Amino acid sequence: MINALSGVDSAAMAMTAERMRMDVVSQNIANAHVTRGVDGTPYRRQQVVFESFLKEASQGKGGAETPLGVRVARIDQDQRPPRMVYNPAHPDANPATGMVGMPNVDMHSEMVDMITSSRAFEANLMVVKTARTLAMQTLGIGKR
Amino acid sequence: MDPLSSIPMGLGASLRAGGMLPPLAEPQNLRQSSPIEIAPSNPEIALPGVGKAGSGRSFDNVLGELVKDVNAKQLEAGSQVRAMLAGEEIPLHRVMIANEEASVSFQLMVEVRNKLLEAYQELMRMQI
Repeated sequence: MINALSGVDSAAMAMTAERMRMDVVSQNIANAHVTRGVDGTPYRRQQVVFESFLKEASQGKGGAETPLGVRVARIDQDQRPPRMVYNPAHPDANPATGMVGMPNVDMHSEMVDMITSSRAFEANLMVVKTARTLAMQTLGIGKR
Repeated sequence: MDPLSSIPMGLGASLRAGGMLPPLAEPQNLRQSSPIEIAPSNPEIALPGVGKAGSGRSFDNVLGELVKDVNAKQLEAGSQVRAMLAGEEIPLHRVMIANEEASVSFQLMVEVRNKLLEAYQELMRMQI
């Protein structure tokens, strides 16, 4: 099989991973005020962990020469305790103390995560674009 | 300077062997038969594996595989677009990259074909 755009595979995997990170950020922001998660406790912030891996060895000559790909290793929960807010009127408030556990989502850091993710995605887009430009210019060798 | 030096090896070999240029390869044939009959009467034209001498694969095998590859890429890009439009879970960038790959390899095929034709015409223009 001809490999017209080599190196773009890694960029594509990175883009898939960044999309996943964006999805998780979106989930965190959407659930930033949920006092009752799926297990009944306040929602906990999720974060993605990326890992690199070797692509199929059949493509390359040796282990060291196969380009590295990126994938989402796992999605972890932020283990920081929920933010406690005094609000006795809330249905989920502790009847004795009047404190409500709010999710440990920090809107500012979510925004920063979102920008980081979108910039990383853009960087990978640039790789694809450059690879395409180089391929087209290479095909132009010898044109009169 | 060797006019064939810029052509891919397989093609150059097959051109040098005279496979694609019947009048140059067998001038006596030209004189004996009528001009219309040249092409069918020359057995070397119909021979597909003229460039076989060097490697195991003939040049038109290589070319056929290139065309097949490009076709496969085009088909895959098309099926990915269709899958995405049908609502399957397939990321947008995968579709676009598949499209780009198809387009670049198509361009490569066109470029190879242009080079081939150019070399052939260059030889046909040669004065004897």
